Amino acid sequence: MNLKRYLSSVLVITELELRKIRHDQSQIWLRIVQPVLWLTVFGVTFSKIRAIPTGDYSYLQFMTPGILAQSVIFVAIFYGIIVVWERDLGLLNKLLSTPAPRSAIVIGKALSAGVRGLFQAVAIVILALIMKIELILTPLSVLGTFAIIILCGMCFSSMSIALASVLRNRERMMGIGQAIMMPLFFASNAIYPLSIMPGWLKVIAIGNPLSYVVDAIRALLVTGDLSSIPVDILVIGATTIMLVVLASLGFRKILS
Amino acid sequence: MAEAIVVENLVKIYPGVKAVDGISFTIPEREIFGLLGPNGAGKTTTIRILLTLIRPTSGSVSVFGINALTHPDKVREMAGYVPQDVSVDGEITGYENILIYAKLYGMPRDQRKQRIKEVLEYLDLQDRANTMVNTFSGGMMRRLELAQSLVNRPRIMFLDEPSIGLDPNARNAIWELVRKLRGEFGTTILLTTHDMVEADTLCDRIGIMDRGKLVVVGEPFQLKSGVGGDILSIVSQAPNLPAVVEELGYSTIAESSNGTVELLVANGEAVIPRLLEDLRAKGVEIASVSLKKPTLDDVFLKYTGARIGEGGSWTQARMTRRTFRRLAK
Repeated sequence: MNLKRYLSSVLVITELELRKIRHDQSQIWLRIVQPVLWLTVFGVTFSKIRAIPTGDYSYLQFMTPGILAQSVIFVAIFYGIIVVWERDLGLLNKLLSTPAPRSAIVIGKALSAGVRGLFQAVAIVILALIMKIELILTPLSVLGTFAIIILCGMCFSSMSIALASVLRNRERMMGIGQAIMMPLFFASNAIYPLSIMPGWLKVIAIGNPLSYVVDAIRALLVTGDLSSIPVDILVIGATTIMLVVLASLGFRKILS
Repeated sequence: MAEAIVVENLVKIYPGVKAVDGISFTIPEREIFGLLGPNGAGKTTTIRILLTLIRPTSGSVSVFGINALTHPDKVREMAGYVPQDVSVDGEITGYENILIYAKLYGMPRDQRKQRIKEVLEYLDLQDRANTMVNTFSGGMMRRLELAQSLVNRPRIMFLDEPSIGLDPNARNAIWELVRKLRGEFGTTILLTTHDMVEADTLCDRIGIMDRGKLVVVGEPFQLKSGVGGDILSIVSQAPNLPAVVEELGYSTIAESSNGTVELLVANGEAVIPRLLEDLRAKGVEIASVSLKKPTLDDVFLKYTGARIGEGGSWTQARMTRRTFRRLAK
């Protein structure tokens, strides 16, 4: 199997996802409801009471990257359920009977989650513009943000796919998704800075890959200070690679 | 003729279950071969091993001379698969379903369009090509699944319960297609079924599977004549019927509680008058006698001592129907 054929297998799996989105965009609009509430209710209220110190930036500016990342992990963390569902339906069996390598299928699925996240991100950026939240929107910052979002989607969806091969049914996947979701979000720098956290939480937040996603998007869209970006990309990239490998290894077992 | 499949001593053990228990068989090229057996006999596991979806515990599998255990990717290149469960994607169109598979099989761009058009026409789906698949009927979904596998022009097709959950018309259409495939393209076909009629009418040869073992392989005709003749069912209230029949020198094969005794005889039509006379002479009152030519179910009974359970197959058909419905909005 040469590299070209491998990459094309990955892209075909992602193409499948894009085609589904094209036929039914309603899910993107439904998924935008929650981030809208976060920004318009939580964000607006907290920026009024000024409870959270966010330096030179307004609270809404500060939290927009956090909400962006949150909406992406929301899509990604439940991705394993889709895989379990496709196995139950018989779709996965058939997919695995093609010459496409297992790991290419996993990467293709992970990339699909990233692409779905991208649509969410675009919708939220438009929302932010409507709310007159000041963001840095240069070609570099926008493309950089898109890249980080795709990585973020791949990272958490492969985590979910890896879990799916262990947990093996939809109900357990729903449970674990919800169990991970909240701690992941609140033990990160998404809606408050690391500096105001108690020591123990800070330790968790520093180990949380989501913090690096938020940090990178915040640097690109809000502060413009790109000094921490290399570390962010390194951490997110390494975590993603590790999780993709884990998910690919587990994927063999998902059928038996 | 070349061998399409050679399986030797195949074993698959799951924790606590021997799903496949040392089976061996050979399928020549261009043959329609059926694995017949009840649910849980190990048919689907066997197919999945041949398709390289799961690894066997031991044994060897060769597909057109290629070792499936060491070169699974080469086997996948030439195989087509229609799983028992519904495997089309309801959220995209029929055309897109085939397109994705054409791409996964690495089909060159310049051939793709033509080939997809061909398979759509071949399966009579061209009118619905651009409709969402969740509006398709069960029979159409099955045809689309066949189209997906055929786009790559496989040398061998694996069909797992191809007609399960389909109405009689759709079932006949699928059978026609399978025969046409072999006739026109020389495709080798391995299918699993628990449906006697399907095995009997469609397959050149069948292998009967029960509890992980392949109990017998042969042509349906050959297997049926192997039962040893015709079956006579005698219904009578007389409690001594089985004893009397044995005494007269007939071999009984089954006896049910409501006073029915089944005999195995050669040339049943000629035996009936004599049997009735003999029984009357012994003072046994007969309510009815019926003659039955042996079916594959009788073959199954002969080799396994049980009939293929109908209950299980119905549950399975219902499940597949449910999936069709679930996929359709």
